[in-house]
Amino acid sequence: MQCEVCKSAPASVHLTDVSNNQKKEIHLCENCARDKGATIKSYLNKDTNFPEFKTAQLMAAEFSESGGEDEGLVCPTCGLSYRKFRSTGKFGCPDDYNLFTKQVVQLLEKIHHKVQHTGKVPGRASSQMAVKKELNQLREELKNAIEREEYEKAAQIRDQIYTLEGRRDKRK
Amino acid sequence: MDLDHLQNQIGEWLCGLGPEADIVISSRIRLARNAAGFAFLSRANPKERSNLEKLLREKILDSEIGKTLSYFSLAEMPPVDRQFLVERHLISREHAFGKGPRGVALSPQENLSIMVNEEDHLRIQGLRSGLQLRTTWNEINRVDSWLEEKIDYAYHPQFGYLTVCPTNVGTGLRASVMLHLPALVMTGQIEKVFQAVSKINLAVRGLYGEGTKASGDFYQISNQPTLGKSEEEIIQNIESVIPQIIKFERTVRETLFDNKREVIEDKACRAYGMLKSARIINSEETMDLLSVVRMGVNLGLIPDLKVHTINELFILTQPAHLQKLERTELSSSERDITRATFIRNRLHNPRNGNS
Ligand SMILES: [Zn+2]
Ligand SMILES: [Zn+2]
Repeated sequence: MQCEVCKSAPASVHLTDVSNNQKKEIHLCENCARDKGATIKSYLNKDTNFPEFKTAQLMAAEFSESGGEDEGLVCPTCGLSYRKFRSTGKFGCPDDYNLFTKQVVQLLEKIHHKVQHTGKVPGRASSQMAVKKELNQLREELKNAIEREEYEKAAQIRDQIYTLEGRRDKRK
Repeated sequence: MDLDHLQNQIGEWLCGLGPEADIVISSRIRLARNAAGFAFLSRANPKERSNLEKLLREKILDSEIGKTLSYFSLAEMPPVDRQFLVERHLISREHAFGKGPRGVALSPQENLSIMVNEEDHLRIQGLRSGLQLRTTWNEINRVDSWLEEKIDYAYHPQFGYLTVCPTNVGTGLRASVMLHLPALVMTGQIEKVFQAVSKINLAVRGLYGEGTKASGDFYQISNQPTLGKSEEEIIQNIESVIPQIIKFERTVRETLFDNKREVIEDKACRAYGMLKSARIINSEETMDLLSVVRMGVNLGLIPDLKVHTINELFILTQPAHLQKLERTELSSSERDITRATFIRNRLHNPRNGNS
């Protein structure tokens, strides 16, 4: 199937607009879909069904003006530039989520209407978090012990902290 | 286990049992996962891809579930075999016709498939017949935890499981239920389902065919957002709407049955007759006829036919299945003849089936 706009590239974005019991199908190539961003946005109302259309690529393309200072960013780990991310809507490595974090939060807000994960936590991550929590608690106790001049106890706590930190470093 | 073995059986998910199986064909859940410390596949070079496949394959087979799985490398597999796995719903079309080193680990009952080097490093899929999202989730949740003992996942405290595409981040979970809705299509009321469902952030799409034109009247309902809700909440959201759609379809079927019994009976029996006597039949016509017959069986209009025979025909009459059956490549017109013969045999001798 060919793109309805440029009539040359194959259509890969299929839009179905269902409103007032009228069904309209639109088939576009990725380039034209992006170019038509503004027009297509008018289909984005809550009563519209557009599973194929709601692609990250189009969402990312909407940020074309809001790049700002991130415009020149390049990920040192995988070499993905912010510009490339914007045009493809795909991340290159886990670090990109931190590097482009401001834009990522805005994008996720648009796609998911939420920006904080509340589901499953991998066992490893949860045990790391438990270690972190324990460390914070021990540091607090250490401070208190020193303030109360209980040096023997402080030394014990310090050893515990070292052990925990060692364990955490080895895990990394 | 090899592919020929798969060909001689039919997956549990097509058995036509399971809750609400007259309307709900299957429940599917997939999880997207990536290994920490590696580039995503979108940026991986050929060497990294190849190393990843080797590593992930080892880790999967080494895990608690590994002993029961068979691994297939797709890069070396003939196209017809890859198409066969797509028709079985065991791998995605993208995975079948993608590039580079990639593979899939399958369970013998076809309930579990783990795709390696799809869009994400891992796509874990669970599949069950009827409405069984919770069972499916419990099963693949366990598999996911077993894999996690071997593979350090890319995970972020705020964004959850990190994925190539931001539409999958968070839980990485896409749950979908496949529904057979011929009466709603026949009476032009399917649009109402689309509207109701999109209001609660779910997507509907046709299973076969392009866009929303679904041949065979199969529709898939799945969650859109993957972030900000727990896995249970996502499943609950889908489960909350499915019974209403089932009820809607059943009510319309009953109304048709009560008011236009002759018309429905005529449609179903004619379709059955066509399938039993056609000499040449294409894929699309097969789907449409099977759909009507399936509804007829569920309404008790064709007593000598079992619904699982029909369920199987939807899969077994697809191009790669026919070609594997004949053990040779077939042109489209040759397939139409093979298909007609195959259907006639099945319907005249139901015991030819795998039941
Ligand atoms: Zn175009
Ligand atoms: Zn990166």
